[in-house]
Amino acid sequence: MFNALTGLSQKTGNFPGVTVDKKSGYTNINNQQIEVVDLPGTYSLNPEAEDERVAADIIKNINDDELIIVVADVTNLKRNLFLCTQIIDLGKPVVLVLNMMDLLQKSNQCIDLDKISTLLQIPVVPVNARIKKGINELKEIVANYQFRKASFLSDKLTPSERYEKITSVISACLQGGEANRWINRTKKIDNILTHKIYGYLIFLSILFVIFQAIFSWSAYPMELIEEGFAMLGGLVESWMPEGVLSDLIVNGILAGLSGIVVFVPQIALLFAFVTILEDTGYMSRVSFLMDRLLRPFGLNGKSIIPLISSIACAVPAIMSTRSITNLKERLITIMVSPLISCSARIPVYTLLIALVIPTEEQVGIFNLQGIVMMGLYLIGFLAALFAALVFKWILKSKGKSNFIMEMPIYRLPRWSNVGFSVYNKVKIFLFEAGKIIIAISIVLWGLSSYGPGDTFEKIEEKYTSPAYENENKDKINNLIASEKLEASYAAYLGKTIEPLIKPIGFDWKIGISLVTSFAAREVFVGTMATLYSVGDEDNTTSIREKMLQAKNPETGDRLYNKATTFSLLIFYAFAMQCMATLAVVYRETKSYKWPIIQVVYMGALAYVSSWIVYTIFS
Amino acid sequence: MTLDELKENESARIVQILDEQLEESMLNMGFIVGEDVKLDRIAPLKDPILITSGLNYISIRKEDAKKILIEKNNAN
Repeated sequence: MFNALTGLSQKTGNFPGVTVDKKSGYTNINNQQIEVVDLPGTYSLNPEAEDERVAADIIKNINDDELIIVVADVTNLKRNLFLCTQIIDLGKPVVLVLNMMDLLQKSNQCIDLDKISTLLQIPVVPVNARIKKGINELKEIVANYQFRKASFLSDKLTPSERYEKITSVISACLQGGEANRWINRTKKIDNILTHKIYGYLIFLSILFVIFQAIFSWSAYPMELIEEGFAMLGGLVESWMPEGVLSDLIVNGILAGLSGIVVFVPQIALLFAFVTILEDTGYMSRVSFLMDRLLRPFGLNGKSIIPLISSIACAVPAIMSTRSITNLKERLITIMVSPLISCSARIPVYTLLIALVIPTEEQVGIFNLQGIVMMGLYLIGFLAALFAALVFKWILKSKGKSNFIMEMPIYRLPRWSNVGFSVYNKVKIFLFEAGKIIIAISIVLWGLSSYGPGDTFEKIEEKYTSPAYENENKDKINNLIASEKLEASYAAYLGKTIEPLIKPIGFDWKIGISLVTSFAAREVFVGTMATLYSVGDEDNTTSIREKMLQAKNPETGDRLYNKATTFSLLIFYAFAMQCMATLAVVYRETKSYKWPIIQVVYMGALAYVSSWIVYTIFS
Repeated sequence: MTLDELKENESARIVQILDEQLEESMLNMGFIVGEDVKLDRIAPLKDPILITSGLNYISIRKEDAKKILIEKNNAN
């Protein structure tokens, strides 16, 4: 509806609470710019969930020159008029928009618009937002609107009495057969989709397809993006004079950007699926199926959507927890979502698994590398459930938990809507996560490009001395880079934390990567690439091969043996290394307490688990 | 009897809702004391349940359904 008015692209869905925050846009009526604010959907002015509270607060405090458009689903007038008449009785100016008129006609009903307008004493406009029919009529009415204070009920009446009056209004205006047809068809579909066997089978198959899509379909565009950025970096290097600025752009900003943009295909695909499932009405059924399973863990059936979304990225996932009414359940969902392995962990997992598991190794028909990867996802999921249990036990419950949720009528997904949703999620990811990752990338670049005092100049001096005159120039440059990195502030940080991470099998180089990937996990691969790019004249060997050749200076054994590698894998599965997520958790909980608790508990879990794994394998 | 005692596809009339907050939530969803309610489906794990009243189709946990007093229609 909002999209039809403003020509903007905001997501709506067949799932209550899809619009979770107010959004505004402008529409042009008779050459007058009018601001349109879209509020989260609500059933009444007595809010239960966070998103409903947003709507109720704004409605109660609107200005004199504003007016409220109530968009009512005409197939369920009774409940929709409940909210509408509540607003009328607040003495606020209201226009009633009747949406989904097409469904009404299909069920052979018609509505007396003049009569309903007279009875409610407000303008009534029929529209079909999906095909944008009636939008111009609505604009016309808004432009010529003159507010007459109306009152639907003479005085404060109980909700039941309000409903009685609404019922009489509707029966006076609505003619034709029962609109039961649509709901009956929906219930027939529900017989299959919530069936005790088929229901779960269908859900698992859908999950499988989503997984498949995220991992294999998006591989090609991701490669393209990485190659594109590498080319762009090369171009910048050749265009710009060598120096600090070119270095900052290529190794600081472009490297950071590439690390963000490369996840766009996966996030776009995941949210295309999630929106399709929401838009058809299926998500409500999944919540219905999962409620009983998730309840023992202090979660709600509605938690399933954030949990699935976390496979791609915890940032939009945590934002989607707003539809969970109960504060405790919502908080638990927010706290455990980052334990689900997100797409940023994939490059780390891929690199590390390849170090210790040979590609050829098979278990039956399955590739062993794939099994380890699956295992890491499973471990993340189980850890999330376990953490939820602990939070359920610790946190005090505020308010009762319920699972009163509307089961919307099934309908086909609106593809434009899917497109808008994908666009929006990608935008949120690029801007929310992007700005933090870029900032951190620049800081990191600084930390690894500069060292304390005059150490860097000394290194330069050393290699310009006559002793190195006859050496290959590339080799010298690499030696300089290597020594500089070891003398940089980043190395100081790595060496400072080395005693702390030694018990879990990490050296100072991994320490640097831990520091750098605190902002975003995928930075690990880039840092490793920089750390090991030294001493490699023509950059022919991959990071994987270089890491394979790395030796433990004390024992002379392979540094990345099973113990250290598995320990690292577990660490990356559990540790809270994502500034973007922390920022969103802060925004959603409005307190520093929860992000801090998240860093501490996930860090402790990661450290202890890594220690156990390292001890077992060494 | 209470709403959770109904079997699938059985209907009854809502007599009283014992919890004020629940009564309001139910009202917001279009479930009104005095009107008919039908139990459409019990989830595979026996909880929650899907119920309808008129065109309102929602899910509710049994715990809450226990607080909704109903009276079976003689016709059913």
